[in-house]
Amino acid sequence: MTQESVAVELRGIGKRFPGVIANHDVDLTIRAGTVHALIGENGAGKSTLMKILYGVQKPDDGTIAINGREVALRTPTDAIANGVGMVFQHFMLADNLTVLENMVLGAEKLHGIGDRARAEIRRISDAFGFGLQPDVLVEKLGVADRQRLEIAKVLYRGACIIILDEPTAVLVPQEVDALFANLRELRNAGNAVLFISHKLDEVLAIADDITVMRRGTTVGTADPHTTTKRELAELMVGSELPSPETEESTVTDTVELTLANVTLADEFGRNLLTDVSLSIHRGEILGIAGVEGNGQAELVETIMGMRIPGGGTIHLGTEDVTHWHTRKLREAGIGYIPEDRHRHGLLLDAPLWENRILGHQTQAPNAKGPWINRSGARKDTQRIVAEYDVRAPGIDTPARALSGGNQQKLIVGREMSGDPVLLIASHPTRGVDVGAQAAIWDHIKRARRAGLAVLLISADLDELIGLSDTIQVILRGRLVGTFDPASVTPQDLGAAMTGGQAA
Amino acid sequence: MTTTTTTPSPVSRVRNAARANWLFIALGAVAAVSLVRILTDTNDLTSVGTIRAAIIATCPILMAGLGGLWAERAGVVNIGLEGQMVLGTWGAAFFTYHSGSPWVGILGAALLGMIGGLLHAIATVTFGVDHIVSGVAINLIGVGATTYLAEATFTDLEGGGPRQLIGLPTPTTIDRIPGISGPAADLADKHWFFISDVASFVAALTTKISLLSLVIFALVVASGWILWKTSFGLRLRSCGENPQAAETLGVNVYLYKYVAVLISGAMAGIGGGFLALVASSGFSTNQTNGRGYIGLAAMIFGNWRPGGLLAGALTFGYTDSLRLRDTHAVHSLLLLVAVALIAITVLRIVRKQIAGAVAMAVPGAALLVWFLSTDSVPRDFTSMTPYVTTLFVLALGTQRLRMPAADGRPYRKGSAG
Repeated sequence: MTQESVAVELRGIGKRFPGVIANHDVDLTIRAGTVHALIGENGAGKSTLMKILYGVQKPDDGTIAINGREVALRTPTDAIANGVGMVFQHFMLADNLTVLENMVLGAEKLHGIGDRARAEIRRISDAFGFGLQPDVLVEKLGVADRQRLEIAKVLYRGACIIILDEPTAVLVPQEVDALFANLRELRNAGNAVLFISHKLDEVLAIADDITVMRRGTTVGTADPHTTTKRELAELMVGSELPSPETEESTVTDTVELTLANVTLADEFGRNLLTDVSLSIHRGEILGIAGVEGNGQAELVETIMGMRIPGGGTIHLGTEDVTHWHTRKLREAGIGYIPEDRHRHGLLLDAPLWENRILGHQTQAPNAKGPWINRSGARKDTQRIVAEYDVRAPGIDTPARALSGGNQQKLIVGREMSGDPVLLIASHPTRGVDVGAQAAIWDHIKRARRAGLAVLLISADLDELIGLSDTIQVILRGRLVGTFDPASVTPQDLGAAMTGGQAA
Repeated sequence: MTTTTTTPSPVSRVRNAARANWLFIALGAVAAVSLVRILTDTNDLTSVGTIRAAIIATCPILMAGLGGLWAERAGVVNIGLEGQMVLGTWGAAFFTYHSGSPWVGILGAALLGMIGGLLHAIATVTFGVDHIVSGVAINLIGVGATTYLAEATFTDLEGGGPRQLIGLPTPTTIDRIPGISGPAADLADKHWFFISDVASFVAALTTKISLLSLVIFALVVASGWILWKTSFGLRLRSCGENPQAAETLGVNVYLYKYVAVLISGAMAGIGGGFLALVASSGFSTNQTNGRGYIGLAAMIFGNWRPGGLLAGALTFGYTDSLRLRDTHAVHSLLLLVAVALIAITVLRIVRKQIAGAVAMAVPGAALLVWFLSTDSVPRDFTSMTPYVTTLFVLALGTQRLRMPAADGRPYRKGSAG
């Protein structure tokens, strides 16, 4: 297993996008016949690095050597020709084409598109136990089958260096075990497998080598036989101290929001949320920590009435709101700062005062009976712009013209209007500058003092620790631990988030 | 998975079932028409002459539909088919007149249609313009350019004028195929249930039929074969289903979209050429008269498949030809649609889809009452009745349509992953 031939060697890779350094000084060595794990938090630059290795993006600096030979990978075709294959996190399959058609697409010259290809697919499928049927439409396949098809696609093209971008993110535990069995087979057949993940227990279970990335660069390597999850978590998260400061508790005894055993299933019948129970009191900020994609978005959408849970109940105050729809919930006093302000929070090409109305179109001061109260809305927008320090030329400016921080301040101001009883803040300071971040923190803290219940979801652990009265960790749709922000460290949270260590 | 099996795979069984289904639908349609013919004593409903007119009416629609198929399978909505067809009518007339050969004229029609397609490809693929906006622009440009070109090039020609050019040579016509045409025509004249209707169809296909019609039917088969049985077709279709995936596998998506839209324009152009050279006595401006849109509709009803679009185009063509022949036949059409709707109602009841059955039964009964209580369709309605009834049957009869997944969506290179 410890063959010393090097399959891939990346030296000093750098990649800059306008205003962002995605990668710098990345060094990575992958030995042939091993599973190499690349770990790091969201935004650490793993995906960009993989796109560079697969020729989707071109590096600005650095060299790539494959099997000891320096290569230039300009397109995926170059990468495929050099034996590199990639399984994207979001599968690259056409639903309305068959397994065979998806497989041979772009590689028709290898085995044709008829019976020879069919035989080759059966051969690969049998060799690794994939169980693929060539003539079935891809839309009929489940997630795990699709992933096996993606891996088979890579093998069909003769790849010996196989990149898997967060392959377990979409799988349930049994499927993960099956995938790992497949990966071990691939490794034993002499392939190099690059496994990207942030789930530490999985990494320790499968990897032969580990490289850790943080903030766009590789910060260290580890030996899975000797290292611990805690050490890996520390490497991943780094060790910065929380900057938003905790204040004395304002938590009251009145419960504002209660979720009891809420369960939500996806279209394939698998649970996105499992038995989620939580309660938030007036004057309390409940922080939810978790690696992205573990059910945070679904939790928020369930509370907001965008999804209706399959089981469990949701109470706002004493009222059962489990089956209420979004507008009714909003009218009942839920404010909502969405995760992605461009997709869900704003109409980018509408003026600020129209954006002020969004989500509050049935309430004063925006509406008078069935009509929009134009002057009322405009006047209230003026108030928000002044109170929340939204730096804009005027309220007729389109939202697109504002910086991210000012857009977010407008949303915060809007959602704080009309005396909400509960605020759901999803990543409220993502992508905003430091000044706006501090202002938004201040607004949330002030609202808490005024008795608002807040559900705070954030990927920024410092923000969670600094603002929250209680922190719960979500992992694969379950709340797996409760922490006191006064005593917890980012490392503890990081470990719990990645399944490294429960509370 | 180590044992080899000899039973047919489930998919090939499904395919066979689908083929059998199409056959049953075709037979059922002929039987229904035959029944209505005998009930209403309207023998013209399936006379050789009617079927011949139907084939001539079908061909341009078929070519427009094929044009739509090529473009949309590559993910480009081509609503500019109408404009490309109009360009084709002028191209056919111009090149036929100057070369003396109608086949050169057809190539000219394809070329002009391709120019329209090129405009559409540049706008939608290279510049990412909304496909509908670009298509509508092409339609306006097509009509404007043709009117201008006709006035500029045909005014002083023999048989020409600012708005027309007549007296052009036409593509070869096959007069009769010995041993088939005669007996088939005789059988058709017996007016037997079902047999005579099929014979009438055979007679029309083998007697006094333009070679170009046969070429057009061959193009449908060829398009189906290229798109579904070659790697070129697979790549082209992958651009309409998931261009990002195609890109990660080394397919040059822009190139395939361009090729598809160019072929699409050429097909529509040939359809225009057929109109000018075969379906009428010569070129006149705006002679497409909405057939590009009808072709697009036939393709959509045909579920983006060549067999389906053939069925859709035949239905449109048949009802269109009835309208031109006599109003009594149009009146019979009411009964035909009523019978079809009631048949679907029965099918729904058997499948216990009560709401669907009611939705079919109500218009079916209404049409039946209309048919029984009148002797003819008012003159003002005759021109639109075929279209309305066709839309009715197709819209209600087609339940599950599946368009290419990325059809009409903008695609930018480098967006994968």
